[in-house]
Amino acid sequence: MRYSELLIALALVAAITAGYFVMTAATGVPAASGFIGHLMGVVGFALMLLTETLYSLRKRAMRRPRGSMRAWLRLHIVMGIVGPYLVLLHTAWTFNGLAGALSLLTAIVVASGFIGRYIYTAVPRTADGAVVEAQELTVMLEALREADAANPATASAAARAAHRKIERRIRTIERQMAALRWQRRALATWHTIHIPIGMAMFVVGFAHITAALYYATLLR
Amino acid sequence: MRTRPLGCMTFTALVAAVIALLAIVGVIVVTGNSMFSPGALSALTVTDGAQAVSTGGVTSHAQLEGRCDACHAAIWSGQKMGDRCVACHADVATQSATGTGLHGKLDANAATCLRCHTEHHGATASTTLADPRVFPHEQTGFVLTAHAQPAVAAAVGCRSCHPGSPRDYKVPDCVSCHQKLDAAKMAKHTDTYGAQCLNCHDGKDTYGHAFVHTTYALTGKHAGADCASCHKGSTTLAALRTTSTTCATCHAKNDVHQGRLGQSCGTCHTPDGWTGAQLDHGTQTTFPLAGKHAAVACESCHVNRQWSGLGTTCASCHKKDDPHAGKFGADCASCHNASDWKDAKFDHSITGFSLAQAHASVSCDKCHANKRFAGTPTTCVGCHASQDKHNGVLGNRCEQCHSATQWANASYNHNAAAFKLVGAHVGVTCERCHSKAPPASTVTTCVGCHAAKDVHNGSMGSVCETCHKPTAWMDVKVNHNAFAFKLTGAHAGVACSQCHKDSSPRNTPTACAACHNKPASHDSHFGGVCSSCHTTKAWRPAAFNHAATSYKLTGAHLSVTCLKCHTNPSVTYTGASTVCASCHKKPANHTGAMGSNCGQCHTTRGWSPSTFNHSTTSFPLTGAHTKLLCTKCHTSPTSFGGLPTSCVGCHNKPSNHPSSYGTVCTLCHTTTAWLPIHYTGPHTFPMTHHGAGGVCANCHAATLSGYSCAKCHANAHGGSRDQSKCASCHPDGRGGD
Repeated sequence: MRYSELLIALALVAAITAGYFVMTAATGVPAASGFIGHLMGVVGFALMLLTETLYSLRKRAMRRPRGSMRAWLRLHIVMGIVGPYLVLLHTAWTFNGLAGALSLLTAIVVASGFIGRYIYTAVPRTADGAVVEAQELTVMLEALREADAANPATASAAARAAHRKIERRIRTIERQMAALRWQRRALATWHTIHIPIGMAMFVVGFAHITAALYYATLLR
Repeated sequence: MRTRPLGCMTFTALVAAVIALLAIVGVIVVTGNSMFSPGALSALTVTDGAQAVSTGGVTSHAQLEGRCDACHAAIWSGQKMGDRCVACHADVATQSATGTGLHGKLDANAATCLRCHTEHHGATASTTLADPRVFPHEQTGFVLTAHAQPAVAAAVGCRSCHPGSPRDYKVPDCVSCHQKLDAAKMAKHTDTYGAQCLNCHDGKDTYGHAFVHTTYALTGKHAGADCASCHKGSTTLAALRTTSTTCATCHAKNDVHQGRLGQSCGTCHTPDGWTGAQLDHGTQTTFPLAGKHAAVACESCHVNRQWSGLGTTCASCHKKDDPHAGKFGADCASCHNASDWKDAKFDHSITGFSLAQAHASVSCDKCHANKRFAGTPTTCVGCHASQDKHNGVLGNRCEQCHSATQWANASYNHNAAAFKLVGAHVGVTCERCHSKAPPASTVTTCVGCHAAKDVHNGSMGSVCETCHKPTAWMDVKVNHNAFAFKLTGAHAGVACSQCHKDSSPRNTPTACAACHNKPASHDSHFGGVCSSCHTTKAWRPAAFNHAATSYKLTGAHLSVTCLKCHTNPSVTYTGASTVCASCHKKPANHTGAMGSNCGQCHTTRGWSPSTFNHSTTSFPLTGAHTKLLCTKCHTSPTSFGGLPTSCVGCHNKPSNHPSSYGTVCTLCHTTTAWLPIHYTGPHTFPMTHHGAGGVCANCHAATLSGYSCAKCHANAHGGSRDQSKCASCHPDGRGGD
């Protein structure tokens, strides 16, 4: 399915939200320093770390690839939504000092992630997820047009359906070819925003964790 | 393409990381550590009047903003956050240590501060959580059980009881809330018990409808009574619990008896009501109503309804009825009972003269003639002097012998007197002894009464009781061992008269012969001293100690009678011969050969067996010789000493012994048996030589020193060789050279 990773992330977020409301009704908003609050913060931050590292490692594991790039990106997106959501719940809805700044940076990185996702999917790719160059697109377009000409939409219903599918694919490739130039530039620009802000976010996150360990020492 | 370990490690990303780090450091430098704060610190202060109280140098936590280490101890410091709390809040530490104050009651300490206290919730937030759902309010001495019930809790909060602040621990004002529930009831309640609710109420026990009045069961009219009737003014639990349970405490003011009947109302009344009182005159007064008293009207005694202070003596009511005009005193009950005046019973024992047995049944005027009671004598003779059958001989203490039962059956316990009556004295009449003098001066020695009857005519003295007993005169018991002649053995059993022929025992001779005649067998010998042989045990056996003489009796001599040896009456015992032959004749088989020294072979144990020790002779007996009768060898009566000791002296040579064998039998024979032979001399030729068979004569036909092989080997070498020299060539008896 086209938006399956978003639906999975939405389902997880909904489940977590349900649990959060149950707890809130029972004992009030879970404090950031309580067991549940810390659990959400720790798990959320761990997911965020994995979000970055796993996908990044896969992208560079050219010699021994495990799974498709597309599957890893989908996992990246799911974890990149669920992790920050848990961290958001960890804040107990107060945004003070360094922790508040961390929340803000997290929000920026997640938001930029959504934008990046759409830029990314606009770039034509093979089934494996590798970027398709403009020259290949031209070849694919011509092959499709020949197939369309050889298969007029006069025969059976199945033939008509196949015809419509080819027509849609032709239009997509035509749109991609038109947008390809600015899209590649946009994606490069996006990378220079998403990754540095993410890095800054992790630095602030570690500072927050260190301070929490030092000052509260897990509230002993 | 340059390979990076992670996609984030781009140049711009690293720059961003450095910038973020610098930004953090920069903010720390500028603002202190407050950027790590999860929220502002509380700015609330504790005030004392208008003045804010300073604790640990600050009046509120907000003044510690940025000084994180004031509360957050470094990991390596070894301190915990609670240690930092009590470092400033020393009063809390003191409360915990001494168990005083709120923290002392809650058993709180440095490790448990965070149970109730928090921070970083903003400047106006309280640092105390004290969630009523988890706060251990029961530890403060007041349980929230009732107040936490849903219906109540909705309307009641902490500040309902702690107005102003939960820090306000003053005793809360319950009345202002509770009078809204029932104003009339509260007004009455506080009027009765005061307004210090917590004196009785601890939040758990309401003392309401469900309260069980166990210490004093409420029954009868008490069950519906108003609590205040009894508990008015009791403002503490202790006062309520110690409310007096006596009737008078509450009811004294209503006492219709005006205190005359005391305060133990419950003896007659019950909580069911004042009327219907039940008085048990028997148990609840000191005067049980018995006999006619039970039936008379109360006012007969309680004149003018005087219920207390009445006397309980008969006279207090009946004095005016006394027909004795007071002569018998006021203790009517000593003779009369409550049933009837006429049913009087005089206890004569109170006069000091109990009417027992026969006295009990005589009419009063027998003693009290002319109705004279005082001065009546109490001695027996006072009345009975004219009846004395003893004519005054036995004195005037009749009661010593007579009882009040009847005159007959008098029984004087003579054992109480110095002279106890035993034996025949028990049966005689009193007058037999007491006729001559009154009892007190009657002599107590035997001769005092019995002198005229002394059959000994005074020869035995006057101490009769040495021999006689009171049982009977003839029951004589003499301790003869006190005399020179002690009675031993058979003498102890004979009747006195056997020896004492007359009534003068002291003159009886002590020699044996004085009583005992010599038997005929003793005739002219044995002398006259019987005791040298006989004892008093019995005549026989006579026990002469023969061992003391020169001839000691042993063996068979011990059992023969004296006369067996001492046969001749004319011979004295001291001169009897000790030689065996003087008594014993030689037997026929000795025929004089054994001489007269019998003791050499015989002992006194018996003639046979003789015990001659042959080893002392020149011919000791060995082997078969030891089993032979003496006469087997000693056949001749001539002498024992002259017998030859050589074998041939007794044994003849047998036919198979050539005369040339000589007479030294022991060369080949032993005393064990003739055969087998045991030749012990030199014999170079094998005696087991085949054919010889151990028979000496086979080779030694003529002499023992020479031999001939001719009996078997006559034809050897064709008979050409000397048969007496075979051994020269055949030394071992074998063939060949």
